[in-house]
Amino acid sequence: MKFRAVMIDAGPMREFSNVVTIISKLSKECVLRLTDDKLYFIVSEENSGPTPPILWCEIPQAMFCSEYQMLGLDEEHKDIYLSFSSGNLARSLVILKTAKSLKMKLTKKQCPCLTLEIEMPSTTSQQTRQVTHDIPVTVIPRKLWTDFHEPRIPDPDISIELPPLKQLRTTIDRMRTMTSEVVIRASAEGRLTLQIRTDMAKVSTRFKGLRVEAFGGPIDHSDSETETQMNEDMSRVCYCRVDAKKLSMFLSAEQISTNRTVCSIVHRKLVILCLTTDESVKLQCFIGGIVY
Amino acid sequence: MKCHVPGANVKVLGRTVHALARFGDELYLESLPDCILLRTLNAAESAYAMVKFNKNFFSYFNYNYYSTEDNEGLKCKISMKSALNTFKSPTHMDKQVENLEIKLDADACKLIFQLKCRHGIVKTHFVTILDCKAMQAVYTKDTVPNRITSPQRILSDALNNFQSSDDQLTLEATPLSLILRNYIDCSIDLTKIIRTQITLKPAEFDSYVIGTETIITFSLKEFRALLAFAEALNLPLQLHFETTGRPAVFIVHNGITFEAHFVLATTKPDSTSQTTATQNTSVERKKRKDTTSTQGSVKKKPHLDMDVSKCLDEDSHLFNFVEIPDENFIESNNKQNGHVSKDNKNNSKVEAMDCDNIPASPTSKTIKSVFKRCFESTFDPRSIQGVILAENSDSD
Repeated sequence: MKFRAVMIDAGPMREFSNVVTIISKLSKECVLRLTDDKLYFIVSEENSGPTPPILWCEIPQAMFCSEYQMLGLDEEHKDIYLSFSSGNLARSLVILKTAKSLKMKLTKKQCPCLTLEIEMPSTTSQQTRQVTHDIPVTVIPRKLWTDFHEPRIPDPDISIELPPLKQLRTTIDRMRTMTSEVVIRASAEGRLTLQIRTDMAKVSTRFKGLRVEAFGGPIDHSDSETETQMNEDMSRVCYCRVDAKKLSMFLSAEQISTNRTVCSIVHRKLVILCLTTDESVKLQCFIGGIVY
Repeated sequence: MKCHVPGANVKVLGRTVHALARFGDELYLESLPDCILLRTLNAAESAYAMVKFNKNFFSYFNYNYYSTEDNEGLKCKISMKSALNTFKSPTHMDKQVENLEIKLDADACKLIFQLKCRHGIVKTHFVTILDCKAMQAVYTKDTVPNRITSPQRILSDALNNFQSSDDQLTLEATPLSLILRNYIDCSIDLTKIIRTQITLKPAEFDSYVIGTETIITFSLKEFRALLAFAEALNLPLQLHFETTGRPAVFIVHNGITFEAHFVLATTKPDSTSQTTATQNTSVERKKRKDTTSTQGSVKKKPHLDMDVSKCLDEDSHLFNFVEIPDENFIESNNKQNGHVSKDNKNNSKVEAMDCDNIPASPTSKTIKSVFKRCFESTFDPRSIQGVILAENSDSD
C-alpha cells in the first residue's frame, strides 16, 4: 500500500485546508478514501454503527496535486481507506494558508501514519523551514469498505439553489438560539423558507427568486401537518424538518470560495446539501428529516 | 529601599511579573545596592527565572532609603497572586500609570506598590511579605558550548505548529539544523497523538553556534511563557545550553536596563518514541517489566526520580543547582529494581536485564506501561504468570 501526493499551489492548498476544517467541525472522526483520480472524505454519524454517511466530499486530485501516486492492496482492491481524527488533520493543516508546499505520504512509523511535510516560508528571512506532522491513522480492512460506499439516495422532490451561505448561516444561528429544529420549505416557484415555531413565536425567513434545478411533480400533503398558506399551491411545495445544529454546521462551509450550493429535499425525509467549488470539490451533506 | 519606575517601564515590569507568574507561585524580590532582582521557581523545581533591573531602569533608586545597616541587601518573598493583582493588564499600563513607587522597609511586614495613575488617581497595594529569604540557582551560561540567538518570532512561529496538549519539547541541535519535536512519553498511546517535527535552518537565526551536538528536552509551558515575554518586549532570545541533563538557559535582555534569565531543567529524550526503534524490543521490555512486578516502592519511584532530576535542591538559605550525575541516577534505579526483584524467583536474570533497560528519561512510564498493558486487547495473561496484579496495587 503506497500513497504520496504533493500540492504546490496556494489556492488549492487553502481550499484543502478549509475543507478539512469544515469536516473537523462536523465530526471528530473521518474516513479518507484514496482512489486513482479522487480523494474522498467520508463522515458517518458518530457512535451509531454502519449508517449511511452524513458527509460525502470528493476532491479531484488532478486539480489539487502536482504529483499523485498511489498503490492499493492488489489489482482488485485499488483503493485505500484510512480513518483518523479529523481535528488532528485540521489543526496540522491550518498553516497551509501561508505554506509553500505540502507533501502527503502514507508511512509506517511504529503505527500507520499520514505524514504531512509542509514547507513554510520564514517570516524573517528568505529561508524556508520544514514542518512535519505524523498523524496516526487506522487502515480500514477490506471487509469494512462497504460501510463507506456512496449512499444511495431516493430521488429528491425538489432541488433549489441556495442563497449565499453567509446569509443563511446568520439566519439559522439566530433561530438556533430559540429552538433546535427548523423546517426548510422549498417551492417550485423558487421560494425557500426557513421556519421555526416555539411556544411564544413563529418565525420564518423567506428567500425569493431562487433557481429551481429540478422539481419532481406534485407533492402529496394528505397525511401531513402542513398548514396551507394563502395563495400557494401546496402541491408545488415540499418541506423537511431538520436539526438546526447540523444545518448550521454545514453552513460554516461559507468560508470555502463557493461556486454554488444546491439544496435537494426529499419531502419530509431528507435534505441533501451539495456544494461545488471552482476546483470541482463536491461537498455533500445529508441531513435526515425529523418526523413526528 | 525605595524606587520609582517611570510609566514606560511599568509596562516592562508588568510583563515581567506576568511571565514569572507562569513559572512559579511565589515571587522573590531582592534589592541590592545597584539593582533589583526578581526571582521565581516552579513547583516541580524544574524551571527558574531571574530578572535583574539595573539602577537606570528606575527614575529614582535609593537602596538605603530606610538607612539600614544591613549591607546584604533586602530580601522578601511575596505571593505571585498579589504581585499579579498589582500589575493587572500590562498592555494598557503604560497609558494609565505615570509612575510606580516601590517601597521595602527592612522592619515592615508589607511591600508597598504605589501606582500614580492619570487624573491624580493613586492606587496603593500593600503586599504581605511571606518570608525574608532569597533564593538563587547556580547555573552556567557563559561557558556552554551551544549558543543560539534567535529573533523571538522564529521560535514562537515554530511553536504554533504544536498542539496545545503537547507538554514537552525536544530540541535537537546540530551545526546544520535545529530540530524541534514534541516529546512523546512511550507510555502514551501512539495512535492518539500527532508527532510534529520542525526543522529550522541556522540561517534563520541571528547567530548559531553548536559546539557539541545534543538533544535536550524541556517543558513547553515555561518555554511558551518566556517566548511570550520576549515577543511582548520585542527583544531577541538567547539560548545557552550544554547537553542532556544540564539546565538550558534562555536570556532576554535589552543591554542597558534589564536582563532576564530563564533556566529550564532538561531531560533525555525517549529514544523509542521518536526514532525508528524496532518495536520488538520495546514489547519485550514491557514483558520483562511485567515479570519484575510492581511493589509499592516502585509506585513512588517516578516521583522520587522527578524531584531528583529537576536538578534543584532547596537549602535553608539558597537554592543551588545540584547536578545529579547520571550514574547516581542509574544506580538508584538499579537498587530499587534489584530490591523489588528479590521477591521474584528469577531474581538475577531480571536484574541483569534491567541494566540494559535503564529508562532514558525520568518519567513514570514504567508504571503506566505495566497497567496499560493489562487493558490492551492483545494482553495475554500467561505472559505475567506468578504475578497477582490486584494484590500488588493494593499493597501500597
